[in-house]
Amino acid sequence: MKENNKLFLSLGVHSAAIIAFQLILMQLLSVVQWHHFAFMVISIAMLGFGASGTFIALYRKKLINNFSWLYPFFMILTGLSMIIVFPLSRINVIEFDVFRLFSDYSQLWVLAVNYLVFFIPFFFGATAIGMVFIKIPEKIGKCYFANLVGSGIGGIFVLFLTGWLFPEKLIIIAGILPVLAGLISYYRKKTGLQFGGALVSLIIAAYFLVYPFSLNPSEYKGISKALNLPEAEVEHREPDTHGIIEVVSSPALRYAPALSMSYTDEVPVKKNVFLNGNFYGVIPHNVSDEKHIHQHTTMELPYVMNERNNVMIINSGTGAHISHALTNSASVIDAVIDNNGVLNLMKSTYLEESGGLFKHENVNIHFADSRIFLSGLKEKKYDLIKLPIIDAFGGTAGLNSLQENYDLTIEAFDLMWNALSENGVIAVTSWMDYPSRASLKIASTLAETARNNGIEQPEDHIVAIRGWGTITFVLKKNRVTFTETEKVRDFCNIKYFDPAFLAGMENIKRNHFNKLDDSSFFDYLDNLILEENSDLSKDYGFAIDPSTDDRPYFYQFLRLKNLSHIISIYGIQQLPYIDLGYLTVIITLIQSAVLAIILIVLPLFRLKNTGKKKSNVFLFFASIGVGYMFIEIIMIQKFVLYFGYPIYAITAVISTMLIASGIGSLYSARIKNPGGNVALIALIVLLVLIVYAFSMTNILQNTLSFSRPLKIIISLILIGIPAFFMGMPFPMAVRHLSNNSPALIPWAWGINGCFSVISSALAMFLALEIGFTAVMIGAVICYFIAFAAYSGDIINKIKIAFQL
Amino acid sequence: MAKKLIILLLLLLPLYSFSQGAHFRDRQMMVKSQLEPRGISHEATLKAMKTVPRHLYVPDEYQRWAYMDRPLPIGYGQTISQPYMVAYMTEIVNPGPNDRVLEIGTGSGYQAAILAEIVDQVFTIEIVPELGKRSKEILQKNYNNVHVKIADGYYGWEEEGPFDAIVVTAAAEYIPPALIKQLKEGGKMIIPVGSPFMVQQLVLVKKEDGQVFSQNLMPVRFVPFTRDD
Repeated sequence: MKENNKLFLSLGVHSAAIIAFQLILMQLLSVVQWHHFAFMVISIAMLGFGASGTFIALYRKKLINNFSWLYPFFMILTGLSMIIVFPLSRINVIEFDVFRLFSDYSQLWVLAVNYLVFFIPFFFGATAIGMVFIKIPEKIGKCYFANLVGSGIGGIFVLFLTGWLFPEKLIIIAGILPVLAGLISYYRKKTGLQFGGALVSLIIAAYFLVYPFSLNPSEYKGISKALNLPEAEVEHREPDTHGIIEVVSSPALRYAPALSMSYTDEVPVKKNVFLNGNFYGVIPHNVSDEKHIHQHTTMELPYVMNERNNVMIINSGTGAHISHALTNSASVIDAVIDNNGVLNLMKSTYLEESGGLFKHENVNIHFADSRIFLSGLKEKKYDLIKLPIIDAFGGTAGLNSLQENYDLTIEAFDLMWNALSENGVIAVTSWMDYPSRASLKIASTLAETARNNGIEQPEDHIVAIRGWGTITFVLKKNRVTFTETEKVRDFCNIKYFDPAFLAGMENIKRNHFNKLDDSSFFDYLDNLILEENSDLSKDYGFAIDPSTDDRPYFYQFLRLKNLSHIISIYGIQQLPYIDLGYLTVIITLIQSAVLAIILIVLPLFRLKNTGKKKSNVFLFFASIGVGYMFIEIIMIQKFVLYFGYPIYAITAVISTMLIASGIGSLYSARIKNPGGNVALIALIVLLVLIVYAFSMTNILQNTLSFSRPLKIIISLILIGIPAFFMGMPFPMAVRHLSNNSPALIPWAWGINGCFSVISSALAMFLALEIGFTAVMIGAVICYFIAFAAYSGDIINKIKIAFQL
Repeated sequence: MAKKLIILLLLLLPLYSFSQGAHFRDRQMMVKSQLEPRGISHEATLKAMKTVPRHLYVPDEYQRWAYMDRPLPIGYGQTISQPYMVAYMTEIVNPGPNDRVLEIGTGSGYQAAILAEIVDQVFTIEIVPELGKRSKEILQKNYNNVHVKIADGYYGWEEEGPFDAIVVTAAAEYIPPALIKQLKEGGKMIIPVGSPFMVQQLVLVKKEDGQVFSQNLMPVRFVPFTRDD
């Protein structure tokens, strides 16, 4: 094999390993902690990329002179560190627990050590990549191609294998890849060091493959608590693309969410299903049971009001709501589930135990995303559309606030409304949260849905009942009748529930069986339902206005503008308990900005003779770094809705973007006069993005119900076009610099890496605060800056033209 | 050698007394700064909070924070509640000297110790064996009116019921029907709703005229526009 080809192959394999490692690490951290923590740690760890640029800049000559042995050696170090960092982070002394942070401030140091530990593989990995860029800058197009295409394949590799292998094994396999890449690029120098390093890495890898390390999830995760119960055991465990599925059994595991206080029988023991250590559902028992525990909860409300023959269960999970519908004699149940692993489990291992629920003659199981299923409905109408329970018992402290949820946006509710029969209802239950957030957001969403669909008085269409722990809302297509109201009142009296919102409310006691000390909750509820464009949505301390497809974060309740007000009420120390997810984004943004400046930018000032056009280089590489990441984040969010499955969407978008950009960079090598043409490419990207800003949402919405193969082709085109052009500016500008000011190349690499890292947190922050449109506008501005920074000649020509 | 040991012990004695004195002062300060200003006024509760050495119920590594206004981890995903929560939960069930009280979720044993200072008999159940054994040891060393059982609190303690009050310190998604049955007519049950380190919401359950009522008590009241502590 030719030397350069060997180099490109090793670079591709190495790049694949890094992206694979990043995705697997994200999953592992989500298992042992929560996904927002994973987001925070990875954001900081990714600074390793930027820091490597600085390192290369400072030791450029030494690295080039010793390239033949240092390049494979850094790859081997990358592999070794990938293999050992995760087990290392689970050692007691440095085992971090996000909840302990609020009671044990020494955890701050532990967190810092964790950052450092996870930073190492990214630093070594990026250093190896960066070394190729400085070694053969004239071949930057091919290098960038190998880097990006390799990364894209790495993403697909993870997607393919996560359904087959547990992440604790997968991370080891990812770690072996850089070691192999190092051996591919072996140059017969310092053989002992290279082979010794590779051998040690492979022995450790083999050990962990035979004896996988245990994950030890945080003791505050659902699965850890379940396993503390007597005779608790994990009786089933399997890997899945959505995460690790585990089934726990214990005679003390019972299921009865917010059970009525009038219930006197046994509470059934149920096996619990966990996804990544978080509660996912219970294995329902024999469906022929005459009673269902949900009949003694507020969730019974839609069945109390009327018969429900045709029922749709959104995100049916393990099927508790399906069996509830069957108990209430539903004749046709369309259950929509998007988790294939759980679906297979319920159709095979637990089919008998659940009384054949998933193969019941009245039940149609649809493996689909709920939004896509709803979009594809034509004539079929439902008497009941039931959503999964909102929030969790005792609240989640905003742990879900970063998770986009397209089932709870106003657009989703409009689709549900259109699928209702004349007497059909949408039913949604929420755990009561204090201060009230989710329950009020549901109320405002239902009222707005009714108004959007021509209902002038939503109060005639909404019913809500409240127990000691939950509140269930029903939105009915037709007016709620007197008979239905009477049935609801009777049910409440028997079950010790209170009507929270009911037609003819003057004569009802809303605060009788379950007394709220602060009755302002009812005023808020009335205000949101009775008043169109209620001021409460704007003035309330938390975000309770309906979520939209542009800002699909139902569980995000904190907003920057209200932060000082919330702090004045609760104090800053209470803030993490209210919305940890939102704070994570802000903290990550600040941390990554500060650390990026310290680790990447400041050391670069040690460089001398960096040229005169430093500010232009700074602007150009910063803006394409931010712009690329903004587009990646927007694409991920848009395609999560389009494909319905986040894991597929994320991998598809990242891989397609990387591969298309790789091809773009390869093609860019053919473009002569890179300095002159780079502005033109930035301008093309800019124009494509402007076209996308106005048309992409429409294209996606109009093709949402197309067949999957067709949707894949559409997505490849939609993602591929901008990504192809977005892959060109970086290598072209580096090529230009290598001809004119090679000393600036490390700056370019460092600044680009630095801003890429900051922008992932920035994009998340903008999406939460303003919506995806803002992120899109941000991306357009970035490519305009990139165009302007490199368009000196063009601008001069324009100036001259205007002067003339 | 023995002489040296005695001298060493004599030297250490003031240090020990000082540390005990410090804990005593911490307890008085805890009551004065954390409980009384927040409206805890039940005499027996305040007295018990001043008496029970909270630091003994906290894992060694957290003892220095034992009297601070915060919950602390005790392992197995459990916490010892912040002092105010313990005092509030005790005060709200209005325990009397002749009462029989059931506690579900012994945890650290601190809540049971506070109740034992006030009432006649305390029955406490812990489901996590390791926690149950640890708290049983310390409670039985200090009190003869506390009975600890390692079992599933779901069933309550039928043979010792009915109870004047039930204090549930480990929240569940449901209120076990057996506990409602074992509550005396006119009795009170208090249950916290909320995860360990989050803002906790307390629910008071009352049995009156054969019906069961719940009341949401909001230690952290939320009024969106003005501060209202």
